[in-house]
Amino acid sequence: MKRIFVILLFLSGTSCAIAQNTVLVQYSMGVPTGDLNDFVGSASFRGFTVDYRKMVQPNIGVGFELGWQVFYDARPFDTYSIGNLSYSAKQWRYNNQFPGLVAVDYYMHPGERINPFAGLGLGTMYSFRYTDMAQFRFQETAWHFALRPEIGVLIEASPGVHFAVSGKYYHGFEAGDLEAQSYFALTLGFDFAR
Amino acid sequence: MERKSRAIAFIGALSILVSGCYPRGPEDSEELEIVVTYFNDAYDFQSKTTYARPDDIVIITGNHLEGEDPVFIPNATATLILDRIDENMDKLGYQKVDVSEDPDLLLTPAAWETTTIVYWYDYWYWWWGGYYPGWGYYPGYFTSYSSGTLVMGLIDPAEVGANGNPVIQWTGAINGILTGSYDASRINKALDQAFDQSPYLSSN
Repeated sequence: MKRIFVILLFLSGTSCAIAQNTVLVQYSMGVPTGDLNDFVGSASFRGFTVDYRKMVQPNIGVGFELGWQVFYDARPFDTYSIGNLSYSAKQWRYNNQFPGLVAVDYYMHPGERINPFAGLGLGTMYSFRYTDMAQFRFQETAWHFALRPEIGVLIEASPGVHFAVSGKYYHGFEAGDLEAQSYFALTLGFDFAR
Repeated sequence: MERKSRAIAFIGALSILVSGCYPRGPEDSEELEIVVTYFNDAYDFQSKTTYARPDDIVIITGNHLEGEDPVFIPNATATLILDRIDENMDKLGYQKVDVSEDPDLLLTPAAWETTTIVYWYDYWYWWWGGYYPGWGYYPGYFTSYSSGTLVMGLIDPAEVGANGNPVIQWTGAINGILTGSYDASRINKALDQAFDQSPYLSSN
């Protein structure tokens, strides 16, 4: 794992054979899995990612991804117990995920109108989880080591602008008081070359 | 340059759109209702059979520190609340007795109109605690209660803590039901919930 990370960092600093750089802005929809699904259980339609790629080879782009996805669930009035303490109330649960990743993409048909790609991201993901019950708030946060594989396709919309659609899987390993946090994401957006 | 501007504009528009859609919480006061109970799991409730309570519900305002007289919930409202509490205690197997009859437990209802817990400290001694000099301490598990909260405590006068004050064995707090007009349906439902979620209180 460390070796991959070092390679990514090395590539991100490479300046040879720069064909073009791109900025990819995407709307993101998320489906929680694992512990995140246990906590929220509903798909998220609130999120976005911003990516930058430096083309170090015609078919390899290296850069970073920043993103935000908020998962939300309103639970009906019910009783919840923690040790000797019991609460009966309606709950509002929020789980914000902020991935910050170094990323590399491999493009299968660079320069063509339809250009599938596959990518990998490594870095961190910050979890900000809280539950509101009346005036009480229970809050947990954690910085996870994160891994994010991705497949997608770029479709040329106009010279230098591509429509982008991709599927991603974010996995933040167990950290702090939180178990591993993971979710699938479907992202839609535009890739702007410069 | 034009593409860069478009990208920046797109990022800005997306940020505004997504942040504007941030999920919201409760939208009316009823959704803020909460019933909280806490108990001492080392205490044997099953061996207790009697309780006493005051006939008024004092309003905790903190103003007594300035020498003001205690304030109580209006009698009509207090009676309805206290009757409902009695019904629940009866279902759990407790018999209500006069405070002079050496009850196993003391039930202390109060309405909260301050968010500062420190005012609890000597309130009971100063008001109803005259029956039991010295047991003024009402331990606050929560850092604060908001205005409009009904707080109930069950205290065993025979169990004294290290500081010489009786220890509270059960706390029930119902937030958001004493604001605005009296709604018997909401209050009764919340009171029932406090006892329903405390089955360990049963002395049957």
